Amino acid sequence: MRARYPDETGSVTRDGLSLGYEVYGNGDPTILLMPTWTIIHVRFWKYQIPDLARRYRVVTFDGPGNGLSQRTTDPDRYTPDAYAADAIAVLDAVGVDRAVVVGLSRGGSYTLRLASSHPDRVSAIALVGPALPLAPPYLERVTRTVERFLKPYPEDVTGWDKYNLAYWHDHYEDFVRFFFDESFNEPHSTKAFEDAVRWAMETGPEILEAESKTAPTDLDDLFGGIVCPVLVFHGNSDRIVDHAVGVEAARITNGSLITIGDAGHMPMVRDPVFFNLALRDFIERVAA
Amino acid sequence: MRARLADKDGFVARDGINLYYEIYGDGDPTLVLVPTWCLIHSRAWKMQIPYLSRHYRVVTYDPRGNGKSGRPRGKSEHSWHHYVDDILAVMDATGTTEAVLVGLSMSGLWSNIAAVLHPDRVMGVVSLAPPAGLGIVLPHREVHSYTDVLDTDEDWAKDNVHFIRDHYREYVEWFATKIFSDPHSTKQIEDNIAWSLETDADSLIDSDLADVRPQEDMASFYSRFTTPLLLIHGDADLLVAHESSVELARLTGGTLVTFRGSGHGLPAREPVRVNLLIRDFVERVAA
Repeated sequence: MRARYPDETGSVTRDGLSLGYEVYGNGDPTILLMPTWTIIHVRFWKYQIPDLARRYRVVTFDGPGNGLSQRTTDPDRYTPDAYAADAIAVLDAVGVDRAVVVGLSRGGSYTLRLASSHPDRVSAIALVGPALPLAPPYLERVTRTVERFLKPYPEDVTGWDKYNLAYWHDHYEDFVRFFFDESFNEPHSTKAFEDAVRWAMETGPEILEAESKTAPTDLDDLFGGIVCPVLVFHGNSDRIVDHAVGVEAARITNGSLITIGDAGHMPMVRDPVFFNLALRDFIERVAA
Repeated sequence: MRARLADKDGFVARDGINLYYEIYGDGDPTLVLVPTWCLIHSRAWKMQIPYLSRHYRVVTYDPRGNGKSGRPRGKSEHSWHHYVDDILAVMDATGTTEAVLVGLSMSGLWSNIAAVLHPDRVMGVVSLAPPAGLGIVLPHREVHSYTDVLDTDEDWAKDNVHFIRDHYREYVEWFATKIFSDPHSTKQIEDNIAWSLETDADSLIDSDLADVRPQEDMASFYSRFTTPLLLIHGDADLLVAHESSVELARLTGGTLVTFRGSGHGLPAREPVRVNLLIRDFVERVAA
């Protein structure tokens, strides 16, 4: 059961890979809700769709590897460039010239790449907890994790050391549970946690392995061509991406920053009313 | 922080006990959200107030024994007729000639009684998971004595005067999990525990030992029910048997809406469906 069902569903094939999309409502402007890291599919926007679709047209699509889209182990399909091209293919398929684009975490990179490579198709962007190597403490943790990623994991592995390729293959669900426990560090997150774990079980370690082989993001490519209005949401208790990253992303883009108090990595799920009202306010301003 | 603050509040003294009430909105008719019982105060309706007060005038109050209301002592102070008369006292104090009553659990029972005894003041009743006094009780609630000293405190054996008196906090923590047996109820459970800690073991025991309903044959009592009645009951309720509401609907000619798989705490756990059903009911009885 869903609060709101799509008015249109379909799929578009880009470069041999089928991508499923959904369209809700028919207002203006169009809001494109981007996929994030393919560990989950786009149902994580479920608290935004019914609200946004009352006023705007909402387009969602799954990236390769999860949800309604085809699974592939080709790393080239998981780059920000590939997601930007997928998004353009979906916008073309549903007949949308320009959209306000919203992206979470790694979806923040995909959103930035879409806006920098196709400024004529993107009227504004909102980034939520964008996963970008911008702030030193976060960068250090990511670097440490990357260094250990391909090494054997110790028997008593805990915490971020579970972010390890062999561990993913041996104990995928346990890694997933660790990751979403970190993502939903707010109290009363049992439903959000269970949803995310279930979505993560719709893909698997071989897909995440392919995704992990994408080359590090070139920041110039992401930020170089951004000319549209930018809004950054970041929870100040985010344990996946430090709040300092959001601060820096807003500074670089001359964007607005909304810091959400006591919020973790996915405030659209855990604080949807606040998030939706703030997003609507941004959309109304950029659409005026 | 609250989604909606009261437009007006005040106290009414009845029979020496202060009752604290709040008024939200100014629509028509007036809905009285009757406090459940002394274990929980009026914030139990927090998911109903913002929605219903957009359409109607909503009156809430804290029950005797909790919240900002008085703390009478002795089981006679907690008998059913006080709880029913408190409803009328709050209606009088707020200038409410007639109202739709919405009750949960014990206050569902007392709202039903008020409708039978005061049909001129009660336009309709929405009664959520009410005990009915018809002798239809869940088996696990009849295993242990409430007043005897037990040699166990496993699960339902906690529902015992000695355990409540000696381990009040542990009792309310356990009891909250029985009210909110649905998955993902951590917030509702924490709220409920906090509200329960605003009263005490003696008040709760007094209210448990009191006469909770008229000492007469309830089937014939309910045959005098002339007010529109909507019953809402979860079929996985661990406190009050769903079957009891099936029988009550049959006796009164009321409507029963069954929530498949739901436990006892319907207003907090199923607020959208509950609110829409209340609205639909009020629109029909007010027409």
